Parts: sequence; structure tokens; C-alpha cells
Amino acid sequence: MKSSMKKLFFKTQYEPDEHGHFGEFGGQYVPELLIPALEELTQAYEQAKADPSFVATVHEVFKNYVGRPSPLYFAERLTKQLGGAKIFLKNEGLNHTGAHKINHCVGQALLAQRLGKTRLIAETGAGQHGVATATVAAKFGLHCTVHMGAVDVQRQAPNVFWMQQLGAEVRVVHDGSQTLKDAVTSALQDWMTDPIGSYYLLGSALGPHPYPVMVRDFQSIIGIEVAEQFQAYEGQGSVPDYLVACVGGGSNAIGLFNAFLDDKQVKLIGVEAGGRNPNQVGEHATRLGRQPQVGVIEGYKSFFLQDDDGNLQPTHSVSAGLDYPGIGPEHAYLYQQGRAQYVAVTDVQAVQAFRALANTEGIVPALESAHAVAYAIQLAPTLPPKKTIVVNISGRGDKDYFILRELIH
Amino acid sequence: MSRTISEQLTIIKQQHRLGVMTHVVMGYPSLHETKQRVLAMAAAGVDSIELQIPFSDPLADGPAITKANQQALAAGVTVQQCLQLAEQLTRAVDIPLQCIGYYNTIHHFGVQQFVQASQAAGIQGFTIPDMPLTEEPYEHFYALAAQANLPVIQLISPATPIERLRLINQHAQAMVYCVSRFGVTGAHTTLPDHLITYLRTVRQYVTLPLAVGFGISTPKHIRALHGLADVAVIGSALLNVSLENLTQQLTNLCAER
Repeated sequence: MKSSMKKLFFKTQYEPDEHGHFGEFGGQYVPELLIPALEELTQAYEQAKADPSFVATVHEVFKNYVGRPSPLYFAERLTKQLGGAKIFLKNEGLNHTGAHKINHCVGQALLAQRLGKTRLIAETGAGQHGVATATVAAKFGLHCTVHMGAVDVQRQAPNVFWMQQLGAEVRVVHDGSQTLKDAVTSALQDWMTDPIGSYYLLGSALGPHPYPVMVRDFQSIIGIEVAEQFQAYEGQGSVPDYLVACVGGGSNAIGLFNAFLDDKQVKLIGVEAGGRNPNQVGEHATRLGRQPQVGVIEGYKSFFLQDDDGNLQPTHSVSAGLDYPGIGPEHAYLYQQGRAQYVAVTDVQAVQAFRALANTEGIVPALESAHAVAYAIQLAPTLPPKKTIVVNISGRGDKDYFILRELIH
Repeated sequence: MSRTISEQLTIIKQQHRLGVMTHVVMGYPSLHETKQRVLAMAAAGVDSIELQIPFSDPLADGPAITKANQQALAAGVTVQQCLQLAEQLTRAVDIPLQCIGYYNTIHHFGVQQFVQASQAAGIQGFTIPDMPLTEEPYEHFYALAAQANLPVIQLISPATPIERLRLINQHAQAMVYCVSRFGVTGAHTTLPDHLITYLRTVRQYVTLPLAVGFGISTPKHIRALHGLADVAVIGSALLNVSLENLTQQLTNLCAER
């Protein structure tokens, strides 16, 4: 199987230039203090990719520790109920730690080890990336500091407890909106204080170069596996008609899309958080809604939700992982190039989709992933039964039980 | 009409002393008090003042300045108001006032428009920590500022490698800002141990005058910088000193320069 598998590291026609610019997006807009650390990282990453023993170790850990490949599952009852296109679920929720985040954590922890770093720094929104980072820190014997906004600490309490059990220090961030964006800033500042001894293990396909590329590459295993697994269902040479994934920063979506970017017959759909009201400031996180605005924040250029003076605007989503005012630069580029389409789904629709999937398939998606499910539920009935949709279930929903219980009652 | 940064540096040199640069966050605690603070600083004899435009996500700033940014924004301070205040201030003092802030403020305003508006307001230079030299080919901010004869102050950190010091020296204008330590802005009780070696290394490769900031807070710190640097930058340490005590504090600090 492995020989027929596409390589983990490959290039598409949407690659950035050598400084990490995808068209006008991306780059390295950071204080001078971080430039040497980012240059060191870029170099180390290039060398690691070219080192067969590094690549083999990544595959080995994916298989024996993460539990890859994750299944591609035909959701037969959901498909029947909707009466349209066939829906397949790529179930990243079955990975060790319960989400796709572990993929880029494994890759980056191996890089940190290669660089001789002794501490991992991470930011987290939903807590999934924090848990995955704390997990690899334990596995590879590294210290771990996870920055998390005070609001997220409250709404994702089970993950906070989990990280602490894994030996990580959870640093609660009280600045700004006390959510993911403030955790990113706090984590970057922590790294600025200790750029030599620590490794910043960024949790999405965003931030300064080389993170967007590096996180994407380690996540590309999702799409690589889907390409193989889909043929087992639909026959040699077949490809899905639609790929659907939720987009906060965009790591699970780019991981699913990347292997299909050059195959234009595959339609790519990213689902943003419409929150309580996608038309009202502070009530949603749809960066690519009406008039997306280019900005330079947290080290990269992309589309950001910002006010008349370029300050980040508050966001809302029922899912902490999508509650973020920026989007990874490659998504910004795919949007601008028209290669991928971006839609929004509200909190209510996501919660309905969560229940629909639980009831028809016995699969409980994370609230983030439930956004992708919600869009697939809208899309499937509009398509003929011969069409196919692959939905990325980026994580499982255990962490959201308490939030849902509150919402449903 | 205020002097340029280079003119002020010449005066400092002629007087064989250290320069003192201070900092305010515009609109913190209010636009009115910012004005009074800047006038008090100028009257106390500081050599230049950084006027920070508040921004929602100030990446290089520690807790004190971050909080000041957020309070100013929460009070509704706009970029336009900051530029208006800057214009009033540059007319009222003869020392150079510089604009410090984050690149998205400029990018969102329009780079060319922002440079023109700053020039019209009498601003004498820019310090933008998240707009490194390497992004210039994509942004043309340095070039547009140069056309308006406004220097963009380069930052250097203890992590900056020698080849990068050389690159920065080629492109730097007026002076170079040496960040004294790893981390973000904020007052510290002691200066870092490596400071002397670090500044001597920078001196070897950088010909322009050196300003040193991040953690400078006491007269003792200023004394320690004699012979090592040209300008001491005092930021966070003055942020929450009351207007009544500001003049006295500054007089004590300036006495050591």
C-alpha cells in the first residue's frame, strides 16, 4: 500500500514563493527577534523533508501511535435520509487524542527534537491542539506550555484538565477577547522570550512562514488517504466530486484539500462559522463573507475581520476552534484564485447537524466538524445520487458534551 | 516646528551626553492627558518621544502597554484622532516626535496615504516592529517613507545574527533601536547581563547611533548605558506614572544622561 501512496511531501500549483507568500498572502511579518528563529525553522524543515529517515519516522508514528490511516466511512443512513449525493466521512475523530491536530503535532515535535529544543509552546482554542501538543510533549519527553484564552478555558474545561494530566502547564490569557487570537499573541510572546530553547508548535495553517506550509504538509496525509480510500469504494481512478471541511485557521481543510488541489474536477468547500448572525459584527467568524479585508496581523497577511482602523474585531462561534478573526494564507489565496469556495453555517445549523449525525450514524462530531456536516446536509439533496461528497470529521465531539447539554436545554 | 531625528542626534553628540527617548500610547488614559504628558516630557528636556497608535493585537508589547492599547481603543480612539493629536503636538514642541505602531494600522489606512498624513502632521519617523526589512519588496513602506524623508527605525535584538546586522546597517536610517532582551516591552529591575557584549557587537557592524530600549526604567540603568549607547528609551516605566509625578521622575532620569 505504501508504495502506491502519494508522497507525504509534494508540491501543487498553489505553492508560495521562497519567502512564504501565496500570491499577496502569507509572509513573515514578525519582530526582528523572531526572524532568526523562523529562518532556523525553515532550514531545518527543508532538511527534514529531504531526509528519508525523518519521513519514515513520521509515517511510523502516524501508524503506530496516531492510529492512521483513519477510516473513510460511507454514511449510508444519512445519505438515504437526505436522498441525494453519497456522503462519505473521513473520520479524523478516531485518531489518538480525537482530532486531526495530532498530525501536525507529531511532525512538529519530531522537528523540535531534531533542533534540540526542550520545550514546546502552543496556543489553543477548542483545546484540541493543546491536548495534542501536550500529548506529543509527553511522548517525546519535552516540557510543554499551552496558552489558552480565559473564555476558552471556561467553555472547554475537560480539555484543560486533560492537558494538565499530560503534564502541560496551561497559561490562561486574560488579554483582549480572551480567545484564540489572544492565545496566539501570548504564545508568540512566550516564544520571543525564549526563542533559542523553545519550539513554537503552531496549531493551524497560519502564522508566519514556514508554519502555513509546514502544518499543511503534515496534515496532507488526510487527503492522501482519502484519495486511496475513495477508490476502494468507487473504483480505480475515481475522485470525489466535493470535499467539505470546516475552516477556523484552516488546518484540517487544507489537509483534506491539498492532495486534490491540482485536480480541478474536485470541488473544494470550506465552511466558516456563521455564529449567531453572519451579518452582525462580533456575532460570527466568517472572514470570507461579504467584503473580505486584507490585513497583516499575528505575523502573516491574509483576510481578517477588522474595523475601520484595522483593529481585529470580536468574533463569536459556538465552536471555540472556529472562533478566530483570521484565516490561513493559503485559504485566502485559494479563495482569491477561485479554487475553493467558502460558505458559512450558523451555530444553530451546526448543532442540528451534530444531532443528525449522532442519530443517523452514531458518530458524534466536534462542533467544529459539525459545521462541515451541516453544509453537506444542505448540499447533498441538491445533487443527483451519483455525485459524491467527502466531509472531514476533523474531531470527535466528546469535548463538547457540556456545551451542547446547555444549548439543548 | 520640530527638529528631525538626525538633527536631535547631532545635538546630543555635541553635548557629549546620552539621549533620552520616551513613549506614550495615544489616548491612554485619554487624548487630553496624552497631550499634557507629551508637553511635560518635552519641558523636562527629553530628546524625542514615541507616539504609539493603539492597536488591538500589539505583538511586541508586554502587559502594561497592551493594556494601555486596549483601554485607548475601548475609549474609541481612532487613527484619525491620533494623527490630529500628533499634528498639534509637533507644532507645540521642537524635539522630534515619532510614530510607533503595528503594520496593519498603516496597511489598512493605505501605506502611501499614511506616510503622507504622518508627514503632514509633522511626524519625524516610524518604528513598526512587525514590518521587517525582508517584507519590504512586497510592501514598499520603507521606500515611500524615504521619499517623504522620514526614517523607518530598524530594530535589532540579541538574537540578530551578524549577517543580518550587516543587512540592517545597509538600510538603516537615522538610528537603530536595540531591543535589550528576549521578550516584550516592560519595566525590569535590572539590565540583562549580556547587554555590554551585545551592544559592543552591534557597534562593530552598525555605524548609526544606537538607541536601547525594553526594560530601561531607573537612573541607574541610564548611567550604565553611558559609552555603550547613544539614546536610552524609557517606555513602560513611565506609562502609569501620574501626570503630577512625571516631571520629577523625568528630571531624575535626565540628570543621569
